[in-house]
Amino acid sequence: MGFDLLPILLSTLIAGTPLVYAGLGELITERAGVLNMGVEGTMVTGAVVAFAVALTTGNLWLGVLAAMAAGALLSLLFAVLAISFRANQLAVGLAMTIFGTGLGSYLGRPYVGMALVQDATQAGGGLAQLPVIGPLFSAVHPLIWLSWILFAAVWYFLARSRAGLALRAVGEAPTSAHAIGYPVVRIRYWATLFGGAMSGIAGAYMSTVYASLWTEGLIAGRGWIAVALVVFATWRPERCIAGAYLFGGATMAQLFAQSAGIGLPSELMSALPYLATIVVLVLISRDASLMRLSVPASLGKPFNPQG
Amino acid sequence: MSIRFELRAQPSRTMVWLSPIIAITLTCCVAMVIFALAGLEPVSALATFIFSPLADLYSVGELLIKAAPLVLIAVGLAVGFRAGVWNVGGEGQLILGVIFGGFIALTFGPTGGVWVLPVMVVGGAIGGAIWAGIPAFLRTHFNASEILTSLMLNYVAQLWLSYLIFGPWRDPAGFNFPQSAPLAPSALFPTLIDGTRANASILIALVAVGLGWALMSKSFVGFQLKVTGLSEGAAKYAGFSAKRAVWIGMLAGGVAAGIAGVGEIAGPLGQIFPTASPGYGYAAIIVAFLGRLNPIGILFSGLLMSLLYLSGDVAQMSLGLPSSITGLFQGTLLFFLLTADVLIHYRLRATSAAGAPKGAANGL
Amino acid sequence: MFNISRRNFIKGAAATAMLGSTGLPVLAAGEKLKVGVIHMGAISDTGWEYFQAQAWRALQAQYPDQVEVTVLENIAQIQDCERLFRQLSTQGHKLLFGTTFSQYASLKKLAPTLPNSHFESCAGIDSSENLGVFEGKHHEGTYLTGIAAGRMTKSNVLGWVGAFPVPQVIYSLNAFLLGARSVNPEVVLKVVWANAWVDPAKEKDAVAALVSQGADVISGSPNTPVQGLAAEEKGIWSIGSTGDFSAYVKKGQLVSFELDWSAAHIEAAKAVLEGTWAPTNRWRGLGEGGFVKMTSSSPDLPASVAAEMATAEAAIIAGTLNPFAGPIKDQAGVERVAAGAVLPDNDIKGMTWLVEGVQGTLPSA
Repeated sequence: MGFDLLPILLSTLIAGTPLVYAGLGELITERAGVLNMGVEGTMVTGAVVAFAVALTTGNLWLGVLAAMAAGALLSLLFAVLAISFRANQLAVGLAMTIFGTGLGSYLGRPYVGMALVQDATQAGGGLAQLPVIGPLFSAVHPLIWLSWILFAAVWYFLARSRAGLALRAVGEAPTSAHAIGYPVVRIRYWATLFGGAMSGIAGAYMSTVYASLWTEGLIAGRGWIAVALVVFATWRPERCIAGAYLFGGATMAQLFAQSAGIGLPSELMSALPYLATIVVLVLISRDASLMRLSVPASLGKPFNPQG
Repeated sequence: MSIRFELRAQPSRTMVWLSPIIAITLTCCVAMVIFALAGLEPVSALATFIFSPLADLYSVGELLIKAAPLVLIAVGLAVGFRAGVWNVGGEGQLILGVIFGGFIALTFGPTGGVWVLPVMVVGGAIGGAIWAGIPAFLRTHFNASEILTSLMLNYVAQLWLSYLIFGPWRDPAGFNFPQSAPLAPSALFPTLIDGTRANASILIALVAVGLGWALMSKSFVGFQLKVTGLSEGAAKYAGFSAKRAVWIGMLAGGVAAGIAGVGEIAGPLGQIFPTASPGYGYAAIIVAFLGRLNPIGILFSGLLMSLLYLSGDVAQMSLGLPSSITGLFQGTLLFFLLTADVLIHYRLRATSAAGAPKGAANGL
Repeated sequence: MFNISRRNFIKGAAATAMLGSTGLPVLAAGEKLKVGVIHMGAISDTGWEYFQAQAWRALQAQYPDQVEVTVLENIAQIQDCERLFRQLSTQGHKLLFGTTFSQYASLKKLAPTLPNSHFESCAGIDSSENLGVFEGKHHEGTYLTGIAAGRMTKSNVLGWVGAFPVPQVIYSLNAFLLGARSVNPEVVLKVVWANAWVDPAKEKDAVAALVSQGADVISGSPNTPVQGLAAEEKGIWSIGSTGDFSAYVKKGQLVSFELDWSAAHIEAAKAVLEGTWAPTNRWRGLGEGGFVKMTSSSPDLPASVAAEMATAEAAIIAGTLNPFAGPIKDQAGVERVAAGAVLPDNDIKGMTWLVEGVQGTLPSA
């Protein structure tokens, strides 16, 4: 019973993509020192909004944009409470998950039982007609391509750009950043909105590309996995994208193993990424210098300009 | 002219009490708007929504049985939260309570006597404490963030429970459905009031409120925890151990959540399902904050959250609204509360656009 | 406390006798029958709960003036189930339906304590005091769809996406392969467990896994359109199992059968309206008043195959064909049903083994 590697890789790509979006978004948010645990709720709302808009307009990309807007809007609420009002970020994040899940199910009721007919060539926006690279666009959905561009942009932003430096400074030492003259609050707002918009795309991907329909339970905890993923990645974009495929691939590997007749205790397989995350966390936390390099020092702590 | 937040010299005591009332009032307003949009008569719909879960003794029993685990866990978590120990693992610790308590119930329940239930409670407490002890150990020895490790352990606990229910604990007479055999009567909490499901686990929650209050307001340990929560530097200066605060904070949450887990299987469930926790571990975090980390406040916020759960079902049954309304209202309530809480520390002041007064917080 | 006086005893006994014989409660003239349904999941799941909802919709359509239905969905916590059934009963709902096996234990406990209402549980071990149960012979549907799959496969590999290894799913997939092997003995069936009742994305992944192993006809249960959509994307056939998804899967759905619970709901309501309700255990398949209905088939299905299926369907209804007629061997090659024998109903209902040719394992119990 041989494995054909290509379908496994392709499925892993497909399964990992929502985690890439939500993970990279949350990563930027956390690098600015903000811990938004509302990813799951934001994804649910994004999924519904994207599906509704894509279905009514017949345009996938309008749906994705709408989901981004919805995600950013929800995280704006988070930002006002957690950044401006300095409410506890855990509490706001959890409330966001409860609220977003409820809102999504509420808004999604009229769209239940409808299917989005996908046309890969239309989704590819004509790119699929291109010679040579065209087939790549029909096999790999444009939203997957876009996630790689996003990864490159996030990596460049954090490692090379001045704005990225400011963001990291705000996450590491908000008081010093404030003293130098960085607008700490504004940067944290933008980082949070970006995270929300990316969670929105992640939700949009789930409802429009992955499942092509909306049902409650569609997100099924993937937002929580994204939060775990960022820690697993020690707040590095390159590890985040690798981790997203690892987390996505863990499920796939288990399903492929089953179909190939290999029995594995699936719960243990599924628990491995979380256990690995704890180990990673312990390894980086025990060493103070390593810790400084990886964990945003002000993560989860509100910033008060009065000190 | 613009509106600015101005720091109060002292937190407003009025606002501490007023802010939940404002939040509840505003949530009711939002609820009425949603009812009106759904074509219902807003006032009577709201009345149905709030009062019908309290219509008779049975329903009150239901309210209590749902509030009990929320209050119990929230009090436990609040001990840690006050000390700046962020235990997000209530869910996993609850599940460990289900696993440990469940093991005792399934092994000894059918043959054991009256001792089975107390042993289950102790077992659940130990399970929860072990699961909370892991993040405490990792924090005190390796400086690993307890927020993240306790969160990760939630997933691991859930998968462990799934493994047990799908595997060794599956009811042989249950047609392979993922659920355990029904718990023996000796493994169930006795009912307090006939004709209801209100059982003795409610008393445990009340005891927890009392203990929590005594610990936080009356004991020196409580004072130490509070100082540690406010400023680790000050605590160190005073000779209070931050490590001890982590251990106490985490274990209080773990023990409480573990016992709450036993309360579910030995109470309304009477059987172990992979979904034994309806997310109480997460909801309790919100309850703790709604109750401003004060055991008495938590008692009220727990009842309020429980009421919202029950009202969501009423909304479906009597008003024809979807159950998702529960999440909407719970979220809205917390948002409003957190917003109103700003007014405890700040006052709103209209200022001229030029020259913000010194001490003003960043305006929006 | 346990001092039962003779008088009370007689009164109680008389009440019990009445309950047994006349099927209380009888409705007053002109009174509407209030029916309550509690869905454990969301009706929007496009799968199991959706088809449960189709049943009370049919009931409403059948008795628009006599029946009023109250529906609760998303009651995922067993903790809530008991309270809500009780409340519905107190509110005067005389007939109450549960939609999943997980509610069965609560209902069994509750039904005897609420004699003013009658209870019906979809899936459940057996009827008991004041509680009727109903379940479909899924295997009669899958045996027929298996015939189509066996004829249409080119790779001789079929794929099955199972939610959980409960007996309903196990006998469904066993019969699916038996049906396929009845026309094509070379066929094997690969099974993947999603270990989730509702996780559309995982179902899609499972289809991809099966396709990578060479499967070219996909079925599964409980089913949602996602499996079909995923199969269509891969350019292979899918089979609507427990539901017809041709509205979603425009080209790729080969055939389908549906679990149609309308008869269960309508009969129970009729019995309550007439005052003749009694707890029964109904396990029905194809045919008039049955719970299994063959629904759509693709225009690409050759007429010869359709005819083959029709013949088998008629034989099943007539009782001359039993999907679990011997000889049947299990995966280990052990003979489970001897030639000339058929598997007793209770052995099907509690099935925990896979037939020879199924490739996949049951999570160890």
